Amino acid sequence: MTRRGSGLTMALLSLLPPLLGGCLAPLPQPLVGLNQRLEAAGPARAPSLAGDWLALIVSKDGRDRVQLVDLRRQRPVPLPGLERPDAQPLSVAVDARGERLALVRQLEGRTELVLYRRSLMALQPVPLQPPGVPRRVALRADGRELAVEVSRQGQWQVDLIAVP
Amino acid sequence: MGWGSSDRQDPALSGNGRVLASVVRRDGRDTVLLQEQPSGKLLPLRHLGRLQPHSSPSLSWNGRYLALLVQRGPERQAVIEDRATGRLHRLPLPGSPVPESLSLAADGRRIAIATEGEGRSRVQLYDLTALLEPDLPAGLPVTGAGTEDARP
Repeated sequence: MTRRGSGLTMALLSLLPPLLGGCLAPLPQPLVGLNQRLEAAGPARAPSLAGDWLALIVSKDGRDRVQLVDLRRQRPVPLPGLERPDAQPLSVAVDARGERLALVRQLEGRTELVLYRRSLMALQPVPLQPPGVPRRVALRADGRELAVEVSRQGQWQVDLIAVP
Repeated sequence: MGWGSSDRQDPALSGNGRVLASVVRRDGRDTVLLQEQPSGKLLPLRHLGRLQPHSSPSLSWNGRYLALLVQRGPERQAVIEDRATGRLHRLPLPGSPVPESLSLAADGRRIAIATEGEGRSRVQLYDLTALLEPDLPAGLPVTGAGTEDARP
């Protein structure tokens, strides 16, 4: 090989690492088993992921329901006292212990924000001050505070509310 | 919380509550804002300036990772900005469905992405351990390269 050819080879070789790096950049890996189970549960939206818990809204038999999935056991857990057949869930959030769920739902013509404690099977309304119409809710992973999008007089605002 | 007279939507809190993400209309485009809590001081983002509209922000425990949906040309894409290293991770989805919303686990190990495609909405989970270091409660809070004050 001539010196010129050797130089060209070295130049080409120097390009390989970045090219290979681009090709071999790690990609997110689908969790196949869990995804198959989610797929089988029906159309789903509005996920909230924290720790080993996934909360989401699943459509089943023509009705939207809140579902909380234990990712370690790969199955939904019951939420007694949370669901009402006449309620339409809009947004849900879960903390990292799977203990607290914040939920925005429409019920009897109103849109309300509620907090559910799984160990107590208890649901309590979260009042908005000043009053407004909630839409999307997020919960801190430690469950101590929630952030909610609220419509007041035609404007969207964000309220931060400490969770007792 | 006020941002002038603009709408503020799509809130998300870091796991420790020290960072708030929300989406505001800025120069006519939906743009994610990061703010320290409770000071309200704006935190800088490196990569997202030309990728509006932004939606569905989600934060890790200390706010090191910000996951969100951005617009890249004709495509809606899920991305994660690592505020500690300045890297932007793109999350290509198999089959190229349209992402609608996402939620990042606080430790940064997994992400849930809701998509629309083939006439159906679905939620899929992805493992991120090959991409991201964990962001755990015991970790030190991340500080950005600089800050700018929130505009009234």
